[in-house]
Amino acid sequence: MSSIPVPTGSQRAQLLEQLARLCRNGEPNRASRLATSSGFPELDANLPGGGWPVGAIAELMSDASGIGELSLLVPVLSRLARAGRYVAWIAPPYLPYGPGLAQRGLPLERLLLIQTRSLQESLWATEQALRCPAIGAVLGWPAYIVDRSVRRLQLAAEAGGSLGILYRPPEAARESSPAALRLRLHAAPEGLAVEIQKSRGGACGLTLQVGVAATVAA
Amino acid sequence: MSAALWLCIRLPRLAQEALAASVQQAADAAASIASRAVDAAAIEHAAMERLAAWAYQWSSLVSYQLPDGPLLWLELAASRSLFGGHAALLANIESELSQLGYSHACALAPSPAAAALLTQAGQQRCVTTPVELRSRLEPLPLALLALSDEVLAALHSAGLRRIGQLLELPAAAIARRFGPAVSLYLQRLCGTASDPRPAWRMPATYSARFEFDAEVHDTTALLFPLRRLLLEFQGYLRGRDCAVLRFTLAFEHYRQPASGVTIGMSAPARDAAQFLLLARERLQSLVLPAAVSALRLQALEFTAASVLQADFFGGDAQQLQQLQLLLDRLQARLGDGQVRSLRQQADHRPERGWRFATPQQSTARPDVQAALRPCTLLPQPRRIEAPALLLSGPERIESGWWDGGDVTRDYYVARAADGARLWVFQDLAAGGWYLQGLWT
Repeated sequence: MSSIPVPTGSQRAQLLEQLARLCRNGEPNRASRLATSSGFPELDANLPGGGWPVGAIAELMSDASGIGELSLLVPVLSRLARAGRYVAWIAPPYLPYGPGLAQRGLPLERLLLIQTRSLQESLWATEQALRCPAIGAVLGWPAYIVDRSVRRLQLAAEAGGSLGILYRPPEAARESSPAALRLRLHAAPEGLAVEIQKSRGGACGLTLQVGVAATVAA
Repeated sequence: MSAALWLCIRLPRLAQEALAASVQQAADAAASIASRAVDAAAIEHAAMERLAAWAYQWSSLVSYQLPDGPLLWLELAASRSLFGGHAALLANIESELSQLGYSHACALAPSPAAAALLTQAGQQRCVTTPVELRSRLEPLPLALLALSDEVLAALHSAGLRRIGQLLELPAAAIARRFGPAVSLYLQRLCGTASDPRPAWRMPATYSARFEFDAEVHDTTALLFPLRRLLLEFQGYLRGRDCAVLRFTLAFEHYRQPASGVTIGMSAPARDAAQFLLLARERLQSLVLPAAVSALRLQALEFTAASVLQADFFGGDAQQLQQLQLLLDRLQARLGDGQVRSLRQQADHRPERGWRFATPQQSTARPDVQAALRPCTLLPQPRRIEAPALLLSGPERIESGWWDGGDVTRDYYVARAADGARLWVFQDLAAGGWYLQGLWT
């Protein structure tokens, strides 16, 4: 697993930790939750641990398709894949484009594309992939998912030490969810506007401008 | 002869227990056998053949006998040091027998006849030297000898009660008085005469059949007997020191041709637990064409086991195994071809710049210089109205004149009303605008 990024400024880290303790509000101590850098400094600075939660589920609710919702993940997926772990896509609604992903540094042989015939199969495959230590991240697009299933996937992600990403329709933002992190994604002229709707152990309610358009491979 | 050591396994309820796997209850099985609804001899023979293959993992000389038993022998002298001593080996064998669901009594002795005798002699069933054997046999009653009732009665009326009393008599006197067969048996018992046993021969391919006494309609009911078949199969693979990439489960039906499934693995394997996991996934989505009267496990091709030792090489190989296990499970449940990877292809036409690939196939990366491409593509370019807002472009792509699929296109990034960034092109040859990708 990649290392935990060192927070810039120890005071800031202390403050975040205090805030995290308040937010947890009696929840079992998960202060030492791992996170892995998103590759976007403006986003890392506002997520607990400094990045995507490892061993947990994050939900992304995008207003529209094609606003950079996948580009937001490409840096972390590329880093995991280059570190030798696999990235599983469970029944994506569109075709991941190999040349585009390769340009952004994702080794295609680390990509697993899994087709399913039903929502039930998708959830099953997501859980299996999350539990497998060889898998670094799992991306799912469930049309519909209940809290119990999210909790199940969360446990699977915890067991496998992987990053679980669920793309959910924008309407899902109206309901609550046990996911560790919930982000709403809005189109923005320069990149993507990321609204932190829920962040276990972190600050909520912020909207950040993230420069996803600038993610060009070196 | 002197170095030989024989393990004998007595299986007093082999036929009932082999059948009990299907009816779940030994009492029912016993009733079925008593009512001659099933052919007990055939069931016993099939079960013993499977057990012989299973036993081959510990010994290259396996032999069995069905009458007066059933008894299964494993010659161990050559292999005993491999398994951490007799006690550990016996414990291992007994634990697997319990998992297989067979009642058993094991004994170890320098001769096959003595090992068979000791399975019925109560405590202390392991003796390893002829001297030890003699003192172990001496106090035992004559009734334990594998001799006919007439001979036993004759011995009794001659005033003999214990085996030791008989062994003190000269061999020639015994032969004269009770018959040469009795004398030979006693010499074989003590290991002083050779006792060649028909060696069970391992078949070149594996085929194990399991007959149900009642038809099975539900795939979950197949799992219990399947577990046993797979454990025995694992023993066979260990015995041959090989592994498989696939095996077949055939389901026999009454008055209908057999159906079946093939369980495939991405890497050679011989682990019963892994096999069962994959078989279970496959059975879950399987619809049986008719009730099942018998189950057959078959493997025709085998690979060397050396590839299994990858885990000695540490983390990477272990991770690879975990991944293979995942891929096999996904494929078993979702179907072949549902788990794929991608690779790039050297072609300037975007729709031909990629291909599906088999997971874990290392791929060459063609060097196609191009402007930044989107992360997602539409399955087919879709005809659209001329976009209102173009953010960048054009990028001219002209290609394919050599294979008849020639294109001349100008590519742009356009913005849709909802803020989505689209990858569009204008077809310069035929005219018209098309949407081909999304900047997700």
